Amino acid sequence: MTEIIVVTSGKGGVGKTTTSASLACGLARRGKKVAVIDFDIGLRNLDLIMGCERRVVYDFVNVIHGDCMLKQALIKDKRFDNLFVLAASQTRDKDALTPEGVKRVLDELTADQFDYIICDSPAGIEKGAHLAMYFADRAVVVVNPEVSSVRDSDRILGLLASKTARAEAGNGGVKEHLLLTRYSPKRVATGEMMSVDDVKEILGLDIVGVVPESQDVLTASNAGTPVILNEASAASQAYEDAVSRLLGETKPLRFIEEPKKGFFARVFGG
Amino acid sequence: MNKPAEAIRTPSATPPLEIRFGQVGLAQVRIRTTDPGAILDELTGRVATAPHFFERTAVCLDLSALEKEPAAEELKAVVDAVSRAGMIAVGLAHGTATVDALARELDLPVLTYFRPQKSAPPVLPAADPQELTVPALLNHTPVRSGQRVYGRHRDLIVTNTVGAGAEVIADGCVHVYGALRGRAIAGARGDVSARVFCQEFHAELVSIAGVFRVFETIPPELAGKPVQAWLSGDDLRFARIGS
Repeated sequence: MTEIIVVTSGKGGVGKTTTSASLACGLARRGKKVAVIDFDIGLRNLDLIMGCERRVVYDFVNVIHGDCMLKQALIKDKRFDNLFVLAASQTRDKDALTPEGVKRVLDELTADQFDYIICDSPAGIEKGAHLAMYFADRAVVVVNPEVSSVRDSDRILGLLASKTARAEAGNGGVKEHLLLTRYSPKRVATGEMMSVDDVKEILGLDIVGVVPESQDVLTASNAGTPVILNEASAASQAYEDAVSRLLGETKPLRFIEEPKKGFFARVFGG
Repeated sequence: MNKPAEAIRTPSATPPLEIRFGQVGLAQVRIRTTDPGAILDELTGRVATAPHFFERTAVCLDLSALEKEPAAEELKAVVDAVSRAGMIAVGLAHGTATVDALARELDLPVLTYFRPQKSAPPVLPAADPQELTVPALLNHTPVRSGQRVYGRHRDLIVTNTVGAGAEVIADGCVHVYGALRGRAIAGARGDVSARVFCQEFHAELVSIAGVFRVFETIPPELAGKPVQAWLSGDDLRFARIGS
């Protein structure tokens, strides 16, 4: 049974691609067969974060146009044998995607016994974002704890509830999850940032994960190693928890409170 | 406070007039004949079905369905027939150059871009109490930013939150059993007795029968509280419900 998960947000720069890469790796590490697709045609990024940018020969648009077979375009990850990346085209624009083409690719992956297909949505609510969410079974809405991101997420949730195949068929719609990224408990404590509860209350959804603001995310992106694989990092552990929750496990939220300073740190002001 | 234009006025230099642009609903009458008798008969019949709605209502004449464009005299007779039926012709729908010329001759404006509503023209329940039992439109899902829910000819009840940037509109009352962070518009067709009710008030805008108030900041006595809004004369009033 293949599940299609769209990672979306409306707003740009909140961590959709970072999240897609980490969730895909996390699921693959648990033995699931995973494909992660970059829907941001023209602004190809996922391949960089996944560290396979020099191995892209064919892309998503080539497959849709029938220039190559899906198998030729799927890039096998170097770390996990059961993880595949389908890169976006850098030279085309969003109009190169068609609903029929996207459906055909997703159907083919489903027939190929993939457990999860992660669709990394572009920012915005235009064609690319629409097609990324249209066939989804579940949605991970990535939100930063700030007002504009929350409002854009609200807009996206509205679209998920109306402009998707599941919503149109009327069979329960897309299952929605919230994932908070770039969370800084310290700034929440000083009232500069919205808290988990604020976001939860405004959007009226449960939280599948809270990823703390971390230097490791940028380092990981530049290195082409999804941050979830840097196990020493708090961001990695937070993504790991999110993967568990997506798989139906219950885990308490971590990293939502400021770490208490140890005795020595308090005494010596470390 | 409910008419923003007044707030802009400075006491020192009040201009003799103000020009404001806005949209109004307008009925369109597409005539298939120029026979004034036939038009009068038909319109009188229609007006009888909803006298309050059609009384002195402004209409835009659309000549596109006529077989040939009428002469100015013919059209004058049509305009007379319309006014004898109780309506007032205020313009001609945009069409050919002949329509432009006719409009000049009759001293009427040509209304460009007349976009009829998708649904049929309203046949309002003519204050017949039996027809007022239209059930309210129920909405149980969150109304998200950018979404719009409209209770046509009835109340709207939302049993969830209304997000910032969302619009809940009804011709009757608007009830929100949750947080109202977006816009609430009651009495969209001019019913001054319509009200807005909500469980948790954070609204961006509240409007009743066209009188509206924008909340740049929400008064602390209303913020987050159960609130109702109603129209008292030309004043939009707000009060907490309960304590």
